[in-house]
Amino acid sequence: MTHYDLELVKLRKVYPGGTVAVEEFDLSVKRGEFISFVGPSGCGKTTTLRMIAGLESITSGDLVIRGKNFTNVPTEHRPTSTIFQNYAIFPHMTVRQNIEFGLHVRKLGAAEIKKRTDAIIEKLELGDVVNARESALSGGQKQRLSLARGLVTEPDILLLDEPLGALDANLRKSIQEELKILQRELNITFVFVTHAQSEALSMGDRVVVMNAGKVEQVSAPFELYTRPQSAFVARFIGRNRIIPGELAEVAEGRASVITPLGKFSGVPSFKQGAASVGQKAMLVAPSEYIDIVPAHEKAADASFEKAEGTVMTLEPVGHVVYVGVELPGMAPMRIEAYRERIEGRNIENGSRVELRWKPERATIVLGEM
Amino acid sequence: MQDAKFLKIGLGTYTALFIAFLYAPFVVMGILSFQQGPEGGPQFPIIEWSTYWYQHVLGFAPPSRVAPLPIGEALARSITLAVATMIVSTVLGTLTAQAFRRHFKGSGFVFYLVVLGMMVPGVLLGLGMALVADQFGIPRTWWGTAFVLHVVYTYPFAFLVMLAIFNRFDGSVEEAAWALGVPPGRTFRKITFPIIFPGVLSAMLFAFTLSYDEFPRTLFTGGSEVTMPIAIYGTFAVEIHPNLFAFGVLTTVFSFALLTVYGLLMMASVRRAKVRISGLQEEIE
Ligand SMILES: Nc1ncnc2c1ncn2[C@@H]1O[C@H](COP(=O)(O)OP(=O)(O)OP(=O)(O)O)[C@@H](O)[C@H]1O
Ligand SMILES: [Mg+2]
Repeated sequence: MTHYDLELVKLRKVYPGGTVAVEEFDLSVKRGEFISFVGPSGCGKTTTLRMIAGLESITSGDLVIRGKNFTNVPTEHRPTSTIFQNYAIFPHMTVRQNIEFGLHVRKLGAAEIKKRTDAIIEKLELGDVVNARESALSGGQKQRLSLARGLVTEPDILLLDEPLGALDANLRKSIQEELKILQRELNITFVFVTHAQSEALSMGDRVVVMNAGKVEQVSAPFELYTRPQSAFVARFIGRNRIIPGELAEVAEGRASVITPLGKFSGVPSFKQGAASVGQKAMLVAPSEYIDIVPAHEKAADASFEKAEGTVMTLEPVGHVVYVGVELPGMAPMRIEAYRERIEGRNIENGSRVELRWKPERATIVLGEM
Repeated sequence: MQDAKFLKIGLGTYTALFIAFLYAPFVVMGILSFQQGPEGGPQFPIIEWSTYWYQHVLGFAPPSRVAPLPIGEALARSITLAVATMIVSTVLGTLTAQAFRRHFKGSGFVFYLVVLGMMVPGVLLGLGMALVADQFGIPRTWWGTAFVLHVVYTYPFAFLVMLAIFNRFDGSVEEAAWALGVPPGRTFRKITFPIIFPGVLSAMLFAFTLSYDEFPRTLFTGGSEVTMPIAIYGTFAVEIHPNLFAFGVLTTVFSFALLTVYGLLMMASVRRAKVRISGLQEEIE
């Protein structure tokens, strides 16, 4: 017996046409965890979810749910429920009938069915529309109905494929919160697919970043945001600023790169023996951690890493200003700064500025841009 | 401006002619069916208005020199045959279309094989079947050889209708049902079938009407117990009386009654779909 709710072992999917949609997919999910999948379009998120649900066959690898192998078990016998992006409400049934539908095939008495249905109707506030059909429901109500229908069968794992994609921004925000609260209350494992990284980061206990059918990184949101482990994640997640270069030194918990702007140190994202000096690498720091000051205000503080450049553009948006800084030997960098940090400090087009950041806030990642 | 006017007149004339050609035979038939009987013939002028020929068709008229239409049994046969054909073809067509929802090896070939049944000229198919039946000593009957050909002929129509229906069908509701633990068989009965029902009705209507007035295939393979179209053709070859017209009017009224039932059933299920679509539109707006 394992203590994992869901284990994916070297999961692989090749579609009949020969497309390799998912490869080498390993993941272990604890009970009650909220896992988000995020990645660019076509990276295999939906395919992975559908393999877990049993709606797509698994080419090779293993799917284990609560210690039991479900790799070749048909959909209807898996302890999972799926929430579809278009909700897939049964159009010829009322809200109540939609919810009860999955209970009728389970050996439950009429009283038990009614009890469970009433409970979930109350929980998801569908009381006013129990006798309505899909045509009379709003987007948010359909969303809640599809959740009610999926949860009433008491699945071990709830799979959600971009469930908020069709909702407007405000509704999206409020349902995100409801969903998170619901998940905590029920203590059911959620696997949540989205292509919006803000959603993945705000909702997931852990986030799986996928690219081209493979897992790039599995981390808690803050870790993912501040400590990317690959060039792809550095570019795809968050608002990182990247300085490309070559690996100069590697030590325990510390490494440095030689870049066109000088030698910088940072925290390596790889194990000590995994890389060698001279290899292509990059220094990555979240935009929020980079400060911009006029060059003449240079501080003697040795705890900062520094790079000098020239301001090319200033673009105020609300309370922040985007500053385009030209740097020697690399592409210009866009820095975000609060308005009061720029205005009245002699930072104008053509001024010399210094960018500075704490080396422990920067990450060194292997690979090229 | 001038062009538009001409276009209007042209289109108007065209439509008028179209309607005239479509309905004129029927109107003429309708008028002549009220000819006086039994002396009145199937031509103008109307000697005197009467319902004699209707009574004649329904067997209420006193015996006269005009033999009753030999259609009583033929009609029963035709309806039985059409109903059986309708059931078999619709079931087959629906199942085949269901199979075509997933691409399988050789699906293109199977498609043309099925559709061939409505492409091959009926006379050829009828003749061929008759020859084969005689070769193997199989008796030619309306409920045997002819029934098989009716299915071969109408099944492609039912199949094509259902194919179009499944094309627009969103399979995620089925997946949702499976994911809720409902086995595929029950999912088909409770989810898929109710949603595709309007399409099934159309397929049934096609199969029924095509079989009901099928002529060439039945002529060759139906044997001596004839169906209605062939019985009518038989009387036409001898001498016709307005009782045929009265019969025509009655069957047309019957067809319209059928169509009305179809329309009502259709409206009931489309109304639901429509509300669904308008709901969707509201959401988009
Ligand atoms: N039924 C299918 N047959 C063949 N190839 C498919 C099929 N479904 C998906 N693919 C391919 O598999 C790859 C992964 O697709 P998938 O739908 O899993 O991506 P995704 O990450 O969900 O993308 P999106 O964010 O756009 O939803 C893509 O290259 C896609 O073209
Ligand atoms: Mg997808």
